[in-house]
Amino acid sequence: MPAEITMPQQSDTMTEGTVVKWLKKEGDKVKAGEIIAEIETDKATMEMEAFDSGTLAVILVKAGEKAAVGAAIAALATAKESVDDVKKKYAGGGGAGATQTAKPQAAASAGGASSTPVAQSSSRTATLEGANTAELKEPDDCTGHQASREAATAVPPLPGNGNGGNGENRLRVSPLARRIADDRGVDLHQVAGTGPGGRIVQKDVLSAAEKGTPKSAAPIPATSSLAPRVATGQTEKIQLTKMRTAIATALQRSKQNVPHFYETMDIDVEEISTLRERLNHRLEKEKIRLSLGDFVTQAVAAALKRHPILNATFDSAKNEITRYGDVNLGVAVALPDGLIVPVLKGVDQMGLKEIRQRSVDLVERARGQRLKGEEMKGATFTVSNLGAFGVREFMAIVNPPEVGILAVGGAEKRPVVRDGEIVARTIMTVTLSADHRVVDGAAAAEFLRTLKGLLEEPAMQLL
Amino acid sequence: MPTMQFRQALREAMTEEMDRDENVFLIGEEVAQYNGAYKVSEGMLDKYGPKRVIDTPISEAAFSGLGVGAACMGLRPIVEFMSWSFTWVCMDQIINNAANVRYMSGGQYKVPIVFRGGNGIAHQLAATHSHRMEAVYARVPGLIVVAPSTPAEAKGLLKSSIRCDDPVIFLESEKMLNEEGDVPEGDDFTLPLGIANVERPGKDVTIVSYGRPLSRVVRPAVEHLVKDHGIDAEVIDLRTLRPLDVDTVIKSVKKTNRCVIVDEDWGYCGMGSGILYKLQKPCFDYLDAPIEYVHSDEIPVPFNHYLEEAMLPSVDRIVTAVKEVCYR
Repeated sequence: MPAEITMPQQSDTMTEGTVVKWLKKEGDKVKAGEIIAEIETDKATMEMEAFDSGTLAVILVKAGEKAAVGAAIAALATAKESVDDVKKKYAGGGGAGATQTAKPQAAASAGGASSTPVAQSSSRTATLEGANTAELKEPDDCTGHQASREAATAVPPLPGNGNGGNGENRLRVSPLARRIADDRGVDLHQVAGTGPGGRIVQKDVLSAAEKGTPKSAAPIPATSSLAPRVATGQTEKIQLTKMRTAIATALQRSKQNVPHFYETMDIDVEEISTLRERLNHRLEKEKIRLSLGDFVTQAVAAALKRHPILNATFDSAKNEITRYGDVNLGVAVALPDGLIVPVLKGVDQMGLKEIRQRSVDLVERARGQRLKGEEMKGATFTVSNLGAFGVREFMAIVNPPEVGILAVGGAEKRPVVRDGEIVARTIMTVTLSADHRVVDGAAAAEFLRTLKGLLEEPAMQLL
Repeated sequence: MPTMQFRQALREAMTEEMDRDENVFLIGEEVAQYNGAYKVSEGMLDKYGPKRVIDTPISEAAFSGLGVGAACMGLRPIVEFMSWSFTWVCMDQIINNAANVRYMSGGQYKVPIVFRGGNGIAHQLAATHSHRMEAVYARVPGLIVVAPSTPAEAKGLLKSSIRCDDPVIFLESEKMLNEEGDVPEGDDFTLPLGIANVERPGKDVTIVSYGRPLSRVVRPAVEHLVKDHGIDAEVIDLRTLRPLDVDTVIKSVKKTNRCVIVDEDWGYCGMGSGILYKLQKPCFDYLDAPIEYVHSDEIPVPFNHYLEEAMLPSVDRIVTAVKEVCYR
């Protein structure tokens, strides 16, 4: 092997060097430690010594040429090979590091541009380069002020809310206003901004909160923004996405094969709502806010433990029911184009806090389509909650091989009769859909009665 | 509490510390025979003699370097500059040496020195003698930068600065030397470095400032805001610019949700820009409006009285900025 001589890195900032002068010519004997060339770095001209002894067989980068740090600039024939062999090996332009003939700084200084103006905008840079200074029309100074001023005036004025500036329909909200809206559940789309450019500021959100535009009353569901209008008189054909196809197939099969029946029950959640407020107050420091849905999840898990016939799957091919000792609850999550059902595994073992945290995590990742495959498998029962959309009650389709699904409507104040009096209570309506091949009406009703009891009398969960 | 001028408070701080510690000495142009260019050191030569109150030639580079060397060797120099504008010629002594010797020597040398003098725009001294040097020094690790706004702060902070084992940049103003204020009695009165002062509590907006603009424009503006606009401003006097007491400011901004910074620096890369940088992230979710920064116009400081006035932050500019962040 010939010993290659490479461009040394003479300083930390050096990326290439110029061979100023070779002190040896091809054919000369070289001893390790001998000075063989002068190298110009980004900072200085330095002497370069040989690391090996031998005969300088071939010079790959000539005096005046540049090479990148580490590139071969010459090769020595050591004792084991002849000069000619090494020469042959490098014949045909083996000097990979050599670039172009270097005329260091000549170009810059010869051009007469004694200083390089600091260009502040790209258009200015272009002008400078293109015009080579001669065509510049009276720049007001050497810093590109004129160009940047022109650029600045070309910026369109700030659009107001919903005016579609920059092609966006974005809300302008102060960070504080956004945080308050979040805390108080105010829907920012319903708030008129009074700040500059229609910015929604603190006082706008506070007055909206006082008037009461809570998020749950008038939510903007994620799906609505993705339902573009079809122009009048036009039609539009849309191919089903993979997800829609899967939903269509699964639910059609369910409705065709599973003999559904439905049972509806009203549940008074007045007390649990109070309890929720109290717990949330305590959890404020941890920044956890339990939702009513979390209480429903917990109660459903507890009820399923007591009614294992619904915490089950059915294999119609084998005519076999499997009942489970754990509750793995599927939670339907709406996506812009479809829905997905991540599974809260072992939810019967979780407290409300854990239910909240895990639900938030699952829902967030579901919306971001970042769920793992196993997180969407293994459900033993499913809950679908459209309460946040203002739905009073609905019937869901069983998701086989599961045998039941609970459709949860929104909690709202309703007039109810208590002790012969009409009073306003917070009521929530739930509908259980079940597979009649596995579950009968009375068993389903028992389940609902347990659920109702757990939610109306939260202390029952202690029993 | 006795009332005294700013210059007298500075003098008391120096003399008390010179009485307390024989290693403390004063050096600078005209500090001895002439009794100080601005009469801050009046009578000190008579009291302490020429070994401790030392006149120098007009060479900031030489006598600031002398001070750094003396401090390395265990003395505690007070170096007076006639103006901080003259310290451009001794950057190497202050920044390369004073600020870095302790670090570069691995702690073998400390540099207990105070550099003090008039900073900023005095009156009709024009472009080269009106520099506001705070941002230049406040960005340098190893330095402590102090800017008092009252005679009491002048005394309390200067005494702490003289006792400090690290180099202190002490920024006064020629225009403040005649200002009077109450100063607590007793030679044990000091104020801690690195701690800001909430000098006026308020709920609607936080105004952050330091040094001369507080008495020149901030306090009058606040009076105006409270009386004529019903805006209850909280005023923070930073006192020390490095290390910045950012916690006090953040706490206040989180409470008021609005912030206006006022100084006489140029805006771009100015002192207030550095403060703003420290605030925007921790305060982001608490801000109802972008932080405003009221500063001098970005031009060389004019000699002409009216132009000089026009470039500086004014009561009007502060009121306008505050109203803007309050959406009034």
